[in-house]
Amino acid sequence: MWCPSMPCAGNATHTIQLPWRTEPASGGTNASALEKDIGPEQFPINEHYFGLVNFGNTCYCNSVLQALYFCRPFRENVLSYKAQQKKKENLLTCLADLFHSIATQKKKVGVIPPKKFISRLRKENDLFDNYMQQDAHEFLNYLLNTIADILQEEKKQEKQNGKLKNGNMNEAEENNKQELTWVHEIFQGTLTNETRCLNCETVSSKDEDFLDLSVDVEQNTSITHCLRDFSNTETLCSEQKYYCETCCSKQEAQKRMRVKKLPMILALHLKRFKYMEQLHRYTKLSYRVVFPLELRLFNTSGDAVNLDRMYDLVAVVVHCGSGPNRGHYITIVKSHGFWLLFDDDIVEKIDAQAIEEFYGLTSDISKNSESGYILFYQSRE
Amino acid sequence: MAAEGGGKEMNEIKTQFTTREGLYKLLSHSEYSRPNRVPFNSQGSNPVRVSFVNVNDQSGNGDRLCFNVGRELYFYIYKGVRKAADLSKPIDKRIYKGTQPTCHDFNHLTATAESVSLLVGFSAGQVQLIDPIKKETSKLFNEERLIDKSRVTCVKWVPGSESLFLVAHSSGNMYLYNVEHTCGTTAPHYQLLKQGESFAVHTCKSKSTRNPLLKWTVGEGALNEFAFSPDGKFLACVSQDGFLRVFNFDSVELHGTMKSYFGGLLCVCWSPDGKYIVTGGEDDLVTVWSFVDCRVIARGHGHKSWVSVVAFDPYTTSVEESDPMEFSGSDEDFQDLHFGRDRANSTQSRLSKRNSTDSRPVSVTYRFGSVGQDTQLCLWDLTEDILFPHQPLSRARTHTNVMNATSPPAGSGGANPGSNGNSITTPGNSVPPPLPRSNSLPHSAVSNAGSKSSVMDGAIASGVSKFATLSLHDRKERHHEKDHKRNHSMGHISSKSSDKLNLVTKTKTDPAKTLGTPLCPRMEDVPLLEPLICKKIAHERLTVLIFLEDCIVTACQEGFICTWARPGKVELQKQLKTKEQQQQEKNQSRKTLKTNKPINRVKWGLDMHNKLSLN
Repeated sequence: MWCPSMPCAGNATHTIQLPWRTEPASGGTNASALEKDIGPEQFPINEHYFGLVNFGNTCYCNSVLQALYFCRPFRENVLSYKAQQKKKENLLTCLADLFHSIATQKKKVGVIPPKKFISRLRKENDLFDNYMQQDAHEFLNYLLNTIADILQEEKKQEKQNGKLKNGNMNEAEENNKQELTWVHEIFQGTLTNETRCLNCETVSSKDEDFLDLSVDVEQNTSITHCLRDFSNTETLCSEQKYYCETCCSKQEAQKRMRVKKLPMILALHLKRFKYMEQLHRYTKLSYRVVFPLELRLFNTSGDAVNLDRMYDLVAVVVHCGSGPNRGHYITIVKSHGFWLLFDDDIVEKIDAQAIEEFYGLTSDISKNSESGYILFYQSRE
Repeated sequence: MAAEGGGKEMNEIKTQFTTREGLYKLLSHSEYSRPNRVPFNSQGSNPVRVSFVNVNDQSGNGDRLCFNVGRELYFYIYKGVRKAADLSKPIDKRIYKGTQPTCHDFNHLTATAESVSLLVGFSAGQVQLIDPIKKETSKLFNEERLIDKSRVTCVKWVPGSESLFLVAHSSGNMYLYNVEHTCGTTAPHYQLLKQGESFAVHTCKSKSTRNPLLKWTVGEGALNEFAFSPDGKFLACVSQDGFLRVFNFDSVELHGTMKSYFGGLLCVCWSPDGKYIVTGGEDDLVTVWSFVDCRVIARGHGHKSWVSVVAFDPYTTSVEESDPMEFSGSDEDFQDLHFGRDRANSTQSRLSKRNSTDSRPVSVTYRFGSVGQDTQLCLWDLTEDILFPHQPLSRARTHTNVMNATSPPAGSGGANPGSNGNSITTPGNSVPPPLPRSNSLPHSAVSNAGSKSSVMDGAIASGVSKFATLSLHDRKERHHEKDHKRNHSMGHISSKSSDKLNLVTKTKTDPAKTLGTPLCPRMEDVPLLEPLICKKIAHERLTVLIFLEDCIVTACQEGFICTWARPGKVELQKQLKTKEQQQQEKNQSRKTLKTNKPINRVKWGLDMHNKLSLN
C-alpha cells in the first residue's frame, strides 16, 4: 500500500524497538492475527480496527486520527456529519469520508489509505504541505479549530439563508456571536485566571476557553502533579508586575489558573519538547510522567459545576524517538474494555500492563523514549 | 549511588532529615545492593522488594534480609546501624531464567539460625519455597502455571501458621496454599464457597487435598497488595479498580470497603493496634480509613506521583501523657524501652500497658510513612484532632482525667469486653457525649468491629478498661454491632444507614458515582493531611519502606537498600572505623568477590523438576 511517489522517510522511524512486538512490522499482514488475538467471541460488534497507511512522515496525522476515532462522541458527530447532505469538499468532509469508510468496512480489521484526507490537509495548510515530521499536538489543534470553523461557518450560512427567507434582518448582532459547535461541546473547557493584587487585595478574574491543556512536565511525577503545578499560584513581581485597575498602578500580584468548566473530553498535552538556548534547538524531555486510567482534577475553581467528574483514559498519542523533528508517533486506545496499539498500518492488541512502557524514562541520559504525549480522558457522566 | 552523596547530581538527594524527635541520618556504609554496587537498569522490571527476618541468633546478629533485583535474589546478614554492610558474602544468591522474583516473605515462626522458610513469588505466576540458609530444600507451587498464569503481586505467610500462605496475582485472584500439599497435575476445579459484592471464594474440588485450598476473586483488575491485621483475623486488599476491601479472613466475610479518589490503589498497611488502615495509590494520595467506623478519616497530599508503599512506624507511634502537641524528646524514652521483635504488636501492647499501669490521661499520635514513584519519602502524623475531629482537645483532656480517676484500674476490673461493659460504666459523671470516643482509643479495634468471634476471643481484654464509659457510648457501640450483624447477613458491605447501603448497592457497577458516599467522600469533606517531612531520597522510584527499631529502611528500583539511623542511634556509628578503613574494606571485598562467588544458579525447568521430586 505504499505510494511509490512518496519518499519513504517513514521507514527509518520503524527501526525503533518496540518490546511487546512479536512480529516484524509489515503492513497489514498481522490483520488476521489481531482478529485471532481478540477472539471471534470477544470481537465487538460494529467495531473496526483499521491501520492507516503512512504517506511519508504522516504518522503525526495517523496517530491523532486514530485517537480521535476512539473518542466516541467525536466519532459519532463526524459520522453524523457524513450522513448529512453532500457538501463541497473540505477537511471535515474528508475526515467524515475516512471515518465512514472505516466504520462501514466489511472486514473487521485491515488497512486504509487516508489519501484524500492527507492531500486535502496539504492543500489547506502550507505547514503540513511537505514530507517533514510534524508535531502531533499542533496537528490536533489545527484539526479541531478547522472543524470548529467549518461548522461555525455552516451555521452562519444556514442562519443567513433562513433569515433571507423570513426577511428578518434585525438580528445582525447574533451573527457576530460565536456559535458553539459540537467540537466545543466535546473538547472545550474553561479556565479562570484569578489575579489578586497584593496591595488592595482585589481579585480580578478572567475566563479563558481551551480545547486542550498544555502542561509542563517534571521528572518522576504524575499527570496529576503536572496539573496541580499548572494551577499553582505564581507571584507577579519586579518586571512582571500587574496593572491593578483599583490601584491604578502596577502592583505585585498573585496569579493562579484553575479549571472552571470541565470538558467532556479532556485532552492533555505534555510539553515534552523544550527549547534549549545553548543548542538552538528543541530537545525532548523523556521524563517519566505516569498517567492513571482514572482521573479527577484537583485544580478546579470552587464556583462551577461538575468539578469532580471522573475521567477515563481513552487514548494516548505516544511520541517515540529523541526529538520533535525525528522519531515516530503511535497511538494506544481503549476500545470495549481492551487496549489496542495503532502504529500507522499496524494494529495490535496490548495488555493494559504494557501501558507503563509509555510513561517515559527515569534516566536523564537517554532521550530516546516512547512516552505519552497527548492524553485523552473522557468524562464518565 | 545515592548513599555516598557529594556528587553534582547527588546534591538534591537528601541524606538526612529532621523531625521533632530528632535527626534521621542515612548510613552510607550500611547500604545493601548487588555485590558490584552498580545501579540496576530498572526500566520495565519488577519492583525491588525487601523482606526481613530475625533468626534468634545467639550472637545478637539475628537479622537477615532478602531482596530481589531484576532476575536476581539475594540473602544477606543485616547488620543494621551497628556495622557496615559486607556485600562480598551473600549467604545466598539466586539468578532466575524465564521468570523474575516479584515479592517474598519469611516465616517468622519457624526461623532459626540453621533454617528459614522464604516464599518467593514470580512474574510468571509461580511460587517457590526456599531455605537460603540450608539451601537444599525447595518446593515449587503453580509450577505448571495451571492455577494462575499472571504475575504474583504479593505473597505472605498466614499469621501464626507454619504451613499456610496466601498469594495474590495481577489477575485479581488470591490463593491459599499449604506447603504440605501438592498442586496436582491438572488445572483445579473450583466450587463456590461464598460470594459477596465484588468478591467470590471458591474451594478446590478434588479427591485428595491439594493446592490451592481456596481461591479468592477480589474486585476487577490486578490485586496489588494485601495485608493481614495485627491480630491476623482480618485481611485488607487493595486493587487496581481503586478499592480497598477488608475481609474477615476466617469467616470469609466482607467487613468494609473504600474507593480511592481516582485510579488504582497500590499499597496498604494497618496501624499497630489494628484500628486504622492506610492506603496509597494512583491519586498521589495516602488515605486513612477507620477500621471500626468503616470510613475515610483523612487523606494526605505530599507525593508528586503514585504512592508505592505505606507503613506505620510502631516505634514512633506515641502515647502522650501531657499536651499531645508537644513531643519534647519523649521518643527517646520509647526507643529505650524494649519491645519484642514482633513489631506489629509492640505499640498495641504499649498502649494497653500504659493504660493499665497508670491512670494518667492518654492521647495517641500515630506515625506512618510513605514512599512513591516521585522518589520521595513522606512521614505523616495522625493526631487526635484528626482522629476525633469534633472534640476540642483541652476539654477532652480534662474530662479524660475525670474518667480515668473514676474507672477502676483495668487490671483489677478484668471485665470481659464482650459483655457490653455496663458493669463499669460511670453514669454519675456528667461527662459530655464526645468524650467516650477518646477513651475508647486504647481499645483494640477488633473488638469494636462487632464481629462476635473476635470479641469472644478475649485476647484484647489485656487489662484495658473497655467500655468504661457512659451510656451514650454504649448505645453507640451496640447500635454499631447490630448494624454489622445485619450487614453481614445481607452479604453487603458495612455502612451505617440503610439508605446509604442502598446507594452503595445501586452504584456498585459505577465507581464514579461513589463520590460523596462513605465509600469515597469528597476532598473537602475529610481533613487533608500535610506531610511532616517530604524528602527526595533517591534517583529512582522508591519501592520499599520498613520501620525497624533503630532505623528506617528504604529501597529504590536501582537496587540500593538504604538504612536511615533513627535519632540517637547514629552515635553508635562513631565507634566504627574511619572512612578510609571502610573504603579499604570495600576494595578488599571487591577483590574477594572475584574468587569467591557463592552463586546458586536456579533454572526453571529440569532443575526444578528434580527438586520437586524430592517432596
